[in-house]
Amino acid sequence: MATTVAVVAGLALTMSACAPGGGGGSESSAQPSSISTDIASAGTVTLKMTDFWGSAEGKWIDQAIADFQKKYPNVTIDRTSEDWGQLNSTLNLQLQDDAGPDIASANNGWQSLGTLAKGGLVVNLDSYAKAYGWDSKVPTTIIRQNKFTTDLKTMGSGSWFATPMARTSLIGLYYNADKLKKLGIEPPKTLDELEVDAAKAKTAGEIPFQYGSLDGSTSALLGVQAVLADKNKLNDYVYDVPTVKASDVGMKEAVETVKKWADAGYFPKDFAGIDYQTAVANFVKGQGVFRWEYTGSLGLSTEQQKHFGYVQLPQSGGKTVGVGAAPGAMVISAKSKHPEVAAAFLDYLMSPAAGQTAVDLGLVPALSPDVKVPETSLSLTGESAAAKTLDSDDGYVPYFDWSSPTMLDTLGQNLQLVFAGKMDSGKFTAAVDADRDAFLAGQA
Amino acid sequence: MSAPARSTGVWTAAAGSAAAEPRETASAPPRRRSARRRRRWTGLAFAALPLAVYAVVVLAPLVQSIQYSFFKWDGVSAATWVGFDNYVTFVTDPILRSTFGHVLVLICFFALLPIVLGLFSAALLTRAKQPGMAVYRWIFFLPQVMTTVVIALVFKRIYAPDGPLNQALRAIGLDSLARTWLGDFTWALPALGLIGTWVTFGFCMVLFISGTSAIAPELYEAARMDGAGPFREFFAVTLPGLRGQLAVALTLTMTAALRTFDLVWITTHGGPGTSTLTPAVALYKAAFQNPQVGLAAAIGVVMAVLCLVVALVITRVSERD
Repeated sequence: MATTVAVVAGLALTMSACAPGGGGGSESSAQPSSISTDIASAGTVTLKMTDFWGSAEGKWIDQAIADFQKKYPNVTIDRTSEDWGQLNSTLNLQLQDDAGPDIASANNGWQSLGTLAKGGLVVNLDSYAKAYGWDSKVPTTIIRQNKFTTDLKTMGSGSWFATPMARTSLIGLYYNADKLKKLGIEPPKTLDELEVDAAKAKTAGEIPFQYGSLDGSTSALLGVQAVLADKNKLNDYVYDVPTVKASDVGMKEAVETVKKWADAGYFPKDFAGIDYQTAVANFVKGQGVFRWEYTGSLGLSTEQQKHFGYVQLPQSGGKTVGVGAAPGAMVISAKSKHPEVAAAFLDYLMSPAAGQTAVDLGLVPALSPDVKVPETSLSLTGESAAAKTLDSDDGYVPYFDWSSPTMLDTLGQNLQLVFAGKMDSGKFTAAVDADRDAFLAGQA
Repeated sequence: MSAPARSTGVWTAAAGSAAAEPRETASAPPRRRSARRRRRWTGLAFAALPLAVYAVVVLAPLVQSIQYSFFKWDGVSAATWVGFDNYVTFVTDPILRSTFGHVLVLICFFALLPIVLGLFSAALLTRAKQPGMAVYRWIFFLPQVMTTVVIALVFKRIYAPDGPLNQALRAIGLDSLARTWLGDFTWALPALGLIGTWVTFGFCMVLFISGTSAIAPELYEAARMDGAGPFREFFAVTLPGLRGQLAVALTLTMTAALRTFDLVWITTHGGPGTSTLTPAVALYKAAFQNPQVGLAAAIGVVMAVLCLVVALVITRVSERD
């Protein structure tokens, strides 16, 4: 027994002596003084890239690489694709590896991008932003999603650590066009109209909203919140401004709205027992008139795209605010030997040409106001129009769960409590604030 | 990070001690001692490689986990020493603390209920030899060889709002009992627990049947001669004879309950609310979804210690006369 105690005591001593981590903690703010944007004369360069895109998104990045290599024959980009969850959980290790990728797709927020920036694993992109004029190309509300202060305590301001791309992922309202026609209603233009339409659908025996809360789906809540919230305050809330509270950013009203819909029977009868995948499948199969959803998540075929529409409901003031972000935050590894070439590629990913490639593959474009959308695709027409309006209104708000690493769980769990009548909207916003504030306290 | 892997280690150790140990014979002649010692060293040399692998694969991560548990660490940047804060958080945070309660409920369903049922069915099956016994055993043992992921997916379907369970209830007029099992705050945890019962019941039964067949028939004969009925016979002969099997069954099923992860992750993700959250799910979320590696390590260490304590207590109690 005595030896055990001694061993434990010895272990405790060695443990306190050497802390894990911090190995990669190089000075991330160290930047080259002058940036060359002349890639053609950079010599033969091979870049490694890891991303989490498959199917249409995978084809998009492949096409972008091919086009970039055509423009600069001296550059080769070796692409590796990994599963989303797999890459998110291993990217920090890959970027610490000398043979790791030069370019990678990360996830925004503190969980992924913030942690990588803190560890000094990704390049501060400020000088590239200046060289390529990103500050004037990209809407401010999107720029903020990729910025952290150099002390890495605050998100949403400071230096560029990642770039968006000519694609976006939004939360908005999908509708079943055939059902609307049958019910004799036009696609709603405001939240009030939507509620009137939902009531009509209910009377006609349809399920107004396809939704399942078994695994804590939050798209309806966050979609409604963006229609109700003050845009600037909502951005500030997510970007670590402690004086803004959840009740200031439409959270209380959004919770009350979805609870009201649940109580009015606007959701499927047993929505508490329906999981996300089943709800998506049911909606595409024709059950339900409306669905709040992330763009690209319904997996609509070319034929189905003719039968489903998309609207980004404007706020009562007329301006459109929507939850949206690039479907990945592009980073350059601090270990990359050719960051200038990598930055040129990131710049290309934000170009209108990359936006047109996206549309041609049925993906939602961004930063490309002049893209040509195939008119036969109802949903893509709606999605592209939404992205265009959000770009011009500078109306993006980030995904709310970026405000703290545990926020997505907090929202999902407490929303289930609200639906079960075990929590009111006041307690809900208090729980949200408690989660965010605890995280901010830990950051300080 | 691997509390499950470690706890399996615990059980192998427990089972290993139950296996026959080579006994030293006291009457060995003295001149053969050095030869024996040499043989012992040779044995150790043979075991050196596996031992080294064990040290690298099991012991080193174990020590590392213990180390991490004293830090606040996001997995990338420099960690800060926080002493026992992570452990304090685990036992004081209301949501994390509630996972202990959920595990206790799961222990009832994973361990106690299957053992009672297993004893009962073993007693019934061994009293009268029936043709086709092997088939019964095979059927009840089947869940034990199925992957938990498959089982979870099957039961997710069974418990679905329009799934077979609700359809069956409605078909026999029990509409009022049909509910959204996995989305119901009261019923989600028992519903998950019953999956565990289904999985471990067959295992317990097979274990007990093999145990009873090892009990000397003379004991039963003697009991019957003394006029013992089936109940008396069960409590006086069968139950004491199964002490070893009971210990193994309890250890295995209780540690299984303690480290429940895949079942919950696939069916409910810990919801509705946090009503089915288990320590293992909380650990996974802390380690791989939120950058709280220290907290995850602390949860892992506590669970490993609990598994060890369970195994030790059960072994002690079962070996006491």
